[in-house]
Amino acid sequence: MNRRTLLAAAAFGIMSPRAMADEVVNMRDLYEKDLSFSGYALQRQGQRIAASGFMAPPLKAESTFFVLTRRPMAVCPFCETEADWPDDILAVYTKRTVEVLPFNVSIVVRGVLELGAYTDPELGFVSRVRLTDASYERA
Amino acid sequence: MKTTLVAGLALALSASAVFAQDALPQAQTKWFTDADAKLQEMIARQPNTNRARNVILFTADGNGVGTNYAIRLFSGQQAGGLGDDYVQPHEAFPYAALVKTYSSNGQTPDSAPTAAAMNSGMKTRNGMINILDTVAEGDCVAGLEAGTRTFAEIASDMGKSVGVLSTARITHATPAAVYARTASRDWEDNTGIPEGCAQKDIADQLVEQMKAGVIDLAMGGGRAHFLPKDVTDAEGKTGKRTDGRNLVEEAKALGAQVVFGDQDFAALTMGNNAPVLGLFEASHMKYEADRTGEPSLAEMTEAAIKSLSTNENGFYLSIEGGRVDHANHDGNLYRVVTDGKAFADAIAKAVELTNAEDTLIIVTADHEHAISFNGYCGRGSNVLGLCMKEDGAGVAHSGEPNLAADGKPYTVAGYLNGAGSVLVKQADGTYSGARADLTEEAATDKDYLQQALVPMSSETHSGEDVSVHAMGPWAHLFDGVLEQNYIFHVMNYAVTAGEMKKASAQ
Repeated sequence: MNRRTLLAAAAFGIMSPRAMADEVVNMRDLYEKDLSFSGYALQRQGQRIAASGFMAPPLKAESTFFVLTRRPMAVCPFCETEADWPDDILAVYTKRTVEVLPFNVSIVVRGVLELGAYTDPELGFVSRVRLTDASYERA
Repeated sequence: MKTTLVAGLALALSASAVFAQDALPQAQTKWFTDADAKLQEMIARQPNTNRARNVILFTADGNGVGTNYAIRLFSGQQAGGLGDDYVQPHEAFPYAALVKTYSSNGQTPDSAPTAAAMNSGMKTRNGMINILDTVAEGDCVAGLEAGTRTFAEIASDMGKSVGVLSTARITHATPAAVYARTASRDWEDNTGIPEGCAQKDIADQLVEQMKAGVIDLAMGGGRAHFLPKDVTDAEGKTGKRTDGRNLVEEAKALGAQVVFGDQDFAALTMGNNAPVLGLFEASHMKYEADRTGEPSLAEMTEAAIKSLSTNENGFYLSIEGGRVDHANHDGNLYRVVTDGKAFADAIAKAVELTNAEDTLIIVTADHEHAISFNGYCGRGSNVLGLCMKEDGAGVAHSGEPNLAADGKPYTVAGYLNGAGSVLVKQADGTYSGARADLTEEAATDKDYLQQALVPMSSETHSGEDVSVHAMGPWAHLFDGVLEQNYIFHVMNYAVTAGEMKKASAQ
């Protein structure tokens, strides 16, 4: 089932809330092309969702924070400086200390969807979209 | 009498040969007649020895023979065909050759020495732009005494206008080679220049070359390298410069029009002799698949040609599809081919807007990548998807995937190394793994990474050949297997040779 049929099914009340909570969306389903929030993201703000992606190499050891990227965060010496993140990322704040997974292993993150600019007080990392109280597993 | 007899005999033999050809059972097939039409076209081909008023050098970064093949299949399949018989705009050019891309110290080159080869006519070391290879990479002080004279400067001295376009940062290696000399490609702003060295950073050199009248138009990404770190741009990104200089304001003070998005780009006043600086992103422009709020490469090409062609002495325009390379580094073939198609669209626009009588158009790549292709796929297998079995009784593939020895299907294309590696780091630090199960839907997803072998954080370039395609004056000088730096020599000859030939005839 893709997101469109999912939303259609939800609109007609065919699916139970639990089934919806188990549905995994792509990160790109949260953004429009111009990086504004999608209707899906706006609709699910404050609710638990599941999103698939990849864990970027964490900025800090023993942390409860990591960045979820849409594709594996390939670090090309000729492409970007270390400070340049892609625009379409998701900040993840986990319940437990992050167990680091390789950058190219597909994972599913479940957490509460938060929208709007937020600056991490410790890392200074600015995010527009977050999953909080999150857990994750290999896809 | 003997001569007549011989001529008559030759005619008779020729007639019988024609008869025999017509009688070939295959003579009426489309394959045969198409190839015969191509033969007639090649027989009729005449070299163009006019002086080139304009030179356009197209480079798709990382678009070697293999990557170009993937883009051809994709474009043909998008157009509703099987893909392999599709002809990209440059593939219809009358002349082509293979190009050896190695640098003076790299069997595998990066984009700095390759761009220097095309803009200065010699090979140099990896990482350096328009600096002789008597200097070590990164030797800032020695580099100051070892700069080359570039084709842009030669063209400018002939009264021509010069433009440079890229979908990467305009300070990135390929576009930088049009206007800059640097012992390190990484010195895009002042922060990387070693203490005490007088070399100007790449962004600074672009504005200097605008001031000097060499560069008339430059458009791409890379805004952050022009802005101080305490300045935030219209998209909320901060600058990178720590010398307090705002090069955007300095360019404006020169009278340049500076634009940041598709709307002010569309409102540019062209042909009024004012320099144009387009900086559409803080870093690289977006991939074509993700593009919004920015002009396409074809739109930038159209604007540049219309602007530069108001100079009756002509122009040199370097146009880079900069992110075919980046998508290859990511191992994401979808963005490789969609950016490659956007590059081809820009070529078509340039052909449409120029005249082959006076404009030499060259299409090439700086280097190839570690991309490779599986077999045996039936025709029409989606270049992004699974390699399907041939249909022994038909033309298009059977719809049934080929299976590898592990019982799993595999994609048409893959990479020898990169982030898509099937070998994944384990908890104990070792690497192991198995190929994932694959469906056509998963493999053709736009964020899919083709499977790779050697685990690396970023897929690499390769030293494999690239092709060069040419049309217009002196395009016939591209033939055979060539060194990359030869491209400069043809451009340099084409802009002068016609005049020299006329002068010697008088």
